[in-house]
Amino acid sequence: MEQQPIVELKQLSKTIGKKKIIDNLNLSLFPGQITGFLGPNGAGKTTTIRMMAGLMKPTSGEVVVEGQTLNEHFEETMSKVGVIVENPEMYKYMSGWKNLVHFARMNKTITTERIKEVVDQVGMQNRIHEKVSTYSLGMRQRLGLAQALLHRPKFLILDEPTNGLDPAGIREFRTYLRKIAAEDGVSVFVSSHLLSEIELMCDRIAVIQNGQLIDIREMNQKEEAHYYIEAQPVDQTREFLVSQGFILETSGAGYITKVEQEKIPAIIQSMVAENLQVFAVQPFRKTLEDQFLEMTGGGQIAESHKK
Amino acid sequence: MLNLIRNEWMKLWHKKATWIMAGLIVLILIGVSGITKWADSNMQQPGNQPSWEQSLAESKAIYTTQLADPNIDEDTKKQMEEEIAIIDYRLDENQAPATGDSRAQHILDSHVLLSMAILFAVIAAGSIVSAEFSQGTIKMLLSRPVKRWKILTSKYITSLLYALALTILALLATILAGYMFYDSGSMTILDYQNGSVVEVSYWGRVFALYSLQFVGIVIYTTFAFMIGSVFRSSSLAIGLSIFLLFVGPNIVFFLSRYEIAKYIIFAHTDLTMFITGQMFIPGITWPFSVAIISVYMLIFLVISYLSFIKRDVKA
Repeated sequence: MEQQPIVELKQLSKTIGKKKIIDNLNLSLFPGQITGFLGPNGAGKTTTIRMMAGLMKPTSGEVVVEGQTLNEHFEETMSKVGVIVENPEMYKYMSGWKNLVHFARMNKTITTERIKEVVDQVGMQNRIHEKVSTYSLGMRQRLGLAQALLHRPKFLILDEPTNGLDPAGIREFRTYLRKIAAEDGVSVFVSSHLLSEIELMCDRIAVIQNGQLIDIREMNQKEEAHYYIEAQPVDQTREFLVSQGFILETSGAGYITKVEQEKIPAIIQSMVAENLQVFAVQPFRKTLEDQFLEMTGGGQIAESHKK
Repeated sequence: MLNLIRNEWMKLWHKKATWIMAGLIVLILIGVSGITKWADSNMQQPGNQPSWEQSLAESKAIYTTQLADPNIDEDTKKQMEEEIAIIDYRLDENQAPATGDSRAQHILDSHVLLSMAILFAVIAAGSIVSAEFSQGTIKMLLSRPVKRWKILTSKYITSLLYALALTILALLATILAGYMFYDSGSMTILDYQNGSVVEVSYWGRVFALYSLQFVGIVIYTTFAFMIGSVFRSSSLAIGLSIFLLFVGPNIVFFLSRYEIAKYIIFAHTDLTMFITGQMFIPGITWPFSVAIISVYMLIFLVISYLSFIKRDVKA
């Protein structure tokens, strides 16, 4: 990646009591890129996000935003960061509008016009003057997004952002994030449990387990082609394919094997010639869920949290 | 900083409890005045009331006999001599003292009722930080480009402003009640200063008494603010402060024989003692009180700031 990262985590560590929650985490986040943050429960996702949001202080290491450390230049760095930590808790006894005014006052140079603009962007203009206590969870999420966008952050941290949104809302939200990433070059960092969601939204994923970063991968990486082949009788099919030099993996009634796309017609022809009854030959793509479980070893709760 | 205070002020007045407390203070103060007036008017006054000259002469006689006692200490002696000087001045100048059922005296005495304002100011101050934690809004509040000490300062100032608002409201309610239930009375206040009796301004005296009571309110408010921000529990902050409001002075009273009593903050929470002359512990001077209060306030605030700035926000 040629670009300068907007945010860098440098050897970030956090120890609470004797437990090492985060261990030497290094990660760079780039403009215009949406990075998913995955990990089993208790892996340290929330702790990492809270350190990036200025809510917790790292035991060692630092969070750097455009070359300035969060700890030493708190106000400068935080004015570039927008945060939604878990459920956006608002002041329920005030209207959505007053909540936004409240947060706007905590930044320099946010005009009333800007607040209106953001309200329109998240589609809340009809109910913005009602008390937050009357809002549904989905509306609170929208308000949460609005407050995070008020100051046009260059970096957006989202912790479980689609929690409570309906499918249409999730899609809208996803489209919106993609738009601000692409058009405004905002760097987005999303943690979520919804793997399918992350898969649709992110360019890149970072996986954390037991406080350590175990993998960073680009989502648009060319995967090696795998195919699912199902034919009868099963035994003869296996013998034939093995004789052709394929390494097979049983999956339900058929087999999964690594094979290049160009070879598929030839394989089907030879299978038909062998009098095998071919039921299915289809590309097989491992879901993010499979990959995730593979990487984290079944996604068990982090060991450090076992007593 | 001004914006932060505006924020806190807005949040404070969007809570129902804030309005209820302000309303209660008005209602209760007017109610108490009304009840007092009603109770007084039901009391049968004996027919032959002594004139004010007679009762002052009686008091003077009592003071004089007490002064003759060789066992009284210096402070009491001085106080009695001052009282006698004031009585002489009244008799010479024909200045009747304000009667207990006059408006003037009622407003003057009402500063005692400010413990109501302490109660409500403590409730607001004890929850202004802890409520952010219990609502979960603290995450939203602290992930802003504003340093934490600024946020805490805005909350502290807002707590004090609310205490001030309650105090002013209490004074206004008392004046209103005074006009509703009482007839005016003598507004001459006599004071003994530098060896002679002088007349002091009535409203000046009221202002002085309320200001001194307000110092007490500030002390309790700061204490509640500290407990609320350290333990993030509004009930603990409010409970403990109110407990100390009632028990604190008793602790001082029980320990008053010992030197240490002077150094307990509760010996200094009611500074009107310097005007009324009803000293809690003899021998306390102005500068001493100011020093003790400053030290305590400094400790309260340092503890509040350290714990708020260092805290990791979890869950």
